[in-house]
Amino acid sequence: MAGKGGTVSRQTARKQDNVSREIVVVGGVRTPMGKFGGYFAQLTAVDLAAMAIRELMARTPVSIEQLDAVIIGNVIQPADATNIARVIALTSGVPRRVPAHTVHRNCASGMQALTDAAEKILAGRAEVVLAGGVESMTHAPLLFHDDFRVALSRLQRAKGIGAKAEALTGLMRAHWKPRVSLLEGLTDPTVNLNMGQTAEVLAREFAITRREQDEFSLASHQRADAAWNEGWFDEEVAHAFPEPSYVPVHRDEGIRAGQTMEALSKLKPVFEKPPLGTVTPGNSSQITDGAAMLLLTHRQKAEAEGWPILGYLYDWQYTGCDPARMGLGPVYASHQLLSRRRIGMRQMDRVEINEAFATQVLACLKAMESKSFSERALGGGAPMGAPDPERLNVHGGAVAMGHPVGMTGARLVLTLLRQLKRDTGGGFGLATLCIGGGQGGAVLVGGEPWKS
Amino acid sequence: MEVLSLEREDDIVRLVLARSDKPVNVLDAAFMEQLEAQLAILEKQPPRVLVIESAMPGCFIAGADLDIIAAVTDANEAQRLAERGQSLCRRIEDLPSVSVALVNGACMGGGLELALACDHIIAVRSGKTQLALPEIRIGIHPGFGGCVRLPRRVGWIKAVEMIMSGRAVDADRAFKMRLATLACHPEQSETAILHAVHLGKIRRRGVRPGWLRLWPARQLFFAQARKKTFERFKHLQIEDCYPALPATLALLQEIVGLRDGQAYAREAESLGRLAATPTCKNLIRVFHLGQALSKQEAVKRGKQAAAAVAHTAVYGAGIMGSGIAWVATKTGEVDLHDVSEEALGRGLKGIKRFARRDGKRMRRIRPVLDGSGLARSDVVIEAVLEDMKVKHQLWTEVEKAVRPDALLLTNTSSLSVSEMQKHATHPERMAGLHFFNPAPKMPLVEVVAGDKTAAPVLDTVAALAAAWGKYPVIVADRPGFLVNRCLMPYMAAALSLLQRGQKAQHIDGALKTFGMPMGAIELADRVGLDICQHVGSHLSEAFGGHFALPDWFGRMVENGLLGEKSGRGFFTYDHGKATGLNPELPQYLRGMDTSERESEADIGSKAGSSMADDAIVHACLLPMLIEALACLRESVVAAADQLDAALVFGIGFPPFRGGLLHYYAGLPRDELRNLISSQGLELPSNLDAVDG
Repeated sequence: MAGKGGTVSRQTARKQDNVSREIVVVGGVRTPMGKFGGYFAQLTAVDLAAMAIRELMARTPVSIEQLDAVIIGNVIQPADATNIARVIALTSGVPRRVPAHTVHRNCASGMQALTDAAEKILAGRAEVVLAGGVESMTHAPLLFHDDFRVALSRLQRAKGIGAKAEALTGLMRAHWKPRVSLLEGLTDPTVNLNMGQTAEVLAREFAITRREQDEFSLASHQRADAAWNEGWFDEEVAHAFPEPSYVPVHRDEGIRAGQTMEALSKLKPVFEKPPLGTVTPGNSSQITDGAAMLLLTHRQKAEAEGWPILGYLYDWQYTGCDPARMGLGPVYASHQLLSRRRIGMRQMDRVEINEAFATQVLACLKAMESKSFSERALGGGAPMGAPDPERLNVHGGAVAMGHPVGMTGARLVLTLLRQLKRDTGGGFGLATLCIGGGQGGAVLVGGEPWKS
Repeated sequence: MEVLSLEREDDIVRLVLARSDKPVNVLDAAFMEQLEAQLAILEKQPPRVLVIESAMPGCFIAGADLDIIAAVTDANEAQRLAERGQSLCRRIEDLPSVSVALVNGACMGGGLELALACDHIIAVRSGKTQLALPEIRIGIHPGFGGCVRLPRRVGWIKAVEMIMSGRAVDADRAFKMRLATLACHPEQSETAILHAVHLGKIRRRGVRPGWLRLWPARQLFFAQARKKTFERFKHLQIEDCYPALPATLALLQEIVGLRDGQAYAREAESLGRLAATPTCKNLIRVFHLGQALSKQEAVKRGKQAAAAVAHTAVYGAGIMGSGIAWVATKTGEVDLHDVSEEALGRGLKGIKRFARRDGKRMRRIRPVLDGSGLARSDVVIEAVLEDMKVKHQLWTEVEKAVRPDALLLTNTSSLSVSEMQKHATHPERMAGLHFFNPAPKMPLVEVVAGDKTAAPVLDTVAALAAAWGKYPVIVADRPGFLVNRCLMPYMAAALSLLQRGQKAQHIDGALKTFGMPMGAIELADRVGLDICQHVGSHLSEAFGGHFALPDWFGRMVENGLLGEKSGRGFFTYDHGKATGLNPELPQYLRGMDTSERESEADIGSKAGSSMADDAIVHACLLPMLIEALACLRESVVAAADQLDAALVFGIGFPPFRGGLLHYYAGLPRDELRNLISSQGLELPSNLDAVDG
């Protein structure tokens, strides 16, 4: 780079500085996950996120004045909280001068917030970023049908008794039945399948039986229950005192401590009718409310300030795939990520694959092990291999605990980093999700600085 | 001393109110004289437009001069005062000019009545703009024509509510209720004035709502108003205790049907009578007592440091701790710490009722189980178990985590602050801040300096309490401080009456008729018999036997009769409501003073004769008086006035009686001495201190 001496050396120094930045997480906390219409029925997404942020900023040595940006993932994007990240930031006492924006990549919105924060820090555009995800699926709105909206606006514009009467009749004949935005949001318009239906596609194609799905779900409940019983989640999850009764809640509401195969087998498939359907509410992730917030910075900053480092974000990848088989997203994303980093699935000490549906996780595992899949879809080569079942979702997953769509991406990274710190004493971790619309997201984390 | 001036600009005259001898504009003699003089000038050459505005920031006119009302000795004098004010207002109303009152700041009482005399009120939006007729709170009612003019502007329903409650409205509310013609921002004042001038002179007549003109409807409406107003005072003889309440309603009801001249005359006459009542004087006295506490030197000195307090940590989510947390949200964020999540849940639920009008304020409280967040706390207040070991442990933990300049305050009611300081690393920042139950409602706080408390810290604590809307009284670090120490003999006396055969409901009834918010026996139940026992024994140790509670009281505590908290005490309780005498009570009282009971049985009466009400009252209050005088002798509190204030604002001693010492100062001294002796009490050496 020719040019004036001073400028060159400064530019080079800056570039080196950016390249050498290592992204670290210095704090994180999440709220309990409440069932649809459960614990948090009266709290909005803004309330949940503010609760998590208040707890986080009280526990961390990082001062709220030191934040450079706030990035929050949210799918529903409530109409009364436009750019919900900004509303949340101001409500939580983040100084007004700190910019905030909201990100959306369906089920990976929480992960997107973290990776965007990381990219900002890598680019030298921020030092400390508050990033996370939140969702209140209970508060998903009911909407009016489009022709109702048109008829209503005709009524408002009509002048004179005659015109008003005609417009009123038009209104009465319009569609009155509300649109359930929650259901619409979980349906992919490009292939006209809802998420559950895409899971049934995978169940068919990978020959995953109802029984296998139920067994996987039972394990999810048992693992989550065991982890809570031994206090594994105590620090990760803040105690909440939700209005209006202020009764204290801590444990994730969805976990069924006494879950059994019999109980699971009694449930009826909902996305494809019996006798051929296999995906039931019992072996799908639960509709839930919750928030997870993390603080990201780079290693140099953390060490200079003396902040405790929870772990490192090495790399991340998002990829696109067939929307009708969106459940396989994790395979594509993980494969690309691990290949790029020249590291194998066997080297992962812990793996979190989001349990959108039991069948979807099982399909991913089969695909990862399958030679034909590798040849067909991943460009050939040896199959990437599935994670060791003893290292996969060891403390339960979304089937038992819930999947607040905007939050989960952030929650998985937080819980994974804590597993590396508490359970394995360091090493590698992989968090990956399938994304409605046909995408996959994956994040590679670790307990120590990267050694190539 | 000029208090107002005229400025002419073409055909617009501005009457500008400003004075340098007082911090606010008041309707005192100087003001009335100068206004009369200026009105005479204006009447000769009326301008097209008259604007009345204040040049004192945050204040339009704060009201009439209370000292003038307090100094009134007879009804005629007060009536003449009212007539003078009414005349001033009428002269403004009668001017052919379009008159506009530009209200920016406090516009209270006579000040609002003056503004009402103008054709238009323009309310300027600001934190300080408040319009109210608070006269009812000092035992009178508006006397400058407000009772006639307000209903014409806002309708009778809103007018009765405003006059009877004394509540203030802000600029936007004033506009909504049509009290103000316009609400505007300060920069828009001139445009607003022009708009009002454009609307011209408005004569408001008639009765709104129209149906009130019908006699039966009027009867019903005012009967309902009476029922609502007197509800809170069912146990009092309201004509004697708070005469302004029935008198004002009677006056308003009469005025609906009267023509102007008669209405004003009735208003002035009624005001005259009320201003001469002892209740009026006493309520003004109590108002001044509160003001004196809010504006004491310590508060002024500590104001700046108190304003810097942004974050408070409160330990203990019981009734007191949660209440204190709510109080602290007035100026900042609060962390409420406890070791039990159930306790936190209960605590938060308990203060929910205070959040009814202010939902967002609850969000300022963060419930904490893990002791986090202390690094950012400016103040730590503990309201945990009354056990020195527990408190020492807490302070040891807290001192490790807080900043060196954070204040450490204790809500203890019976332990010594100096004792607590002995184990502290930075004892100079430790002090006592004792709230009264319920903390959000009771205005009093006792501020206690320990041996090592630094003077600036004490000032900051007093100023902080004032910023939280409380009245701080600085008291010495002696057992029971001030209020609890005076309360104990009162309660012990009531218990002794109970023992001697008087019925619990009769004792409490007599005290409530006197004006106490609840009887002494019910008070023991509400506070908790275990706490009374604890405080009683603690004070006995320190001061001697006369604080000791009887043995049967201890037996009640042992058997779990703890009062409201356990559902049974002297009375039984269901969800906080007293549901009758506890049937187990006689078995505790039985066997005491058997000799007395035998002699009573000889006479043949079933339970001994009932004492007269005032005998009961003196039997309970005189021990309190004696103890209060002892506190003065020992300099527990600096002055008799502060002591009176403490009892009014801390335990609800009836304000219409002016204070405990003030009440007894009103009896002839010999009679007082006889009363004291007849109770078997020792005459205090400083009895004359009741005169203040």
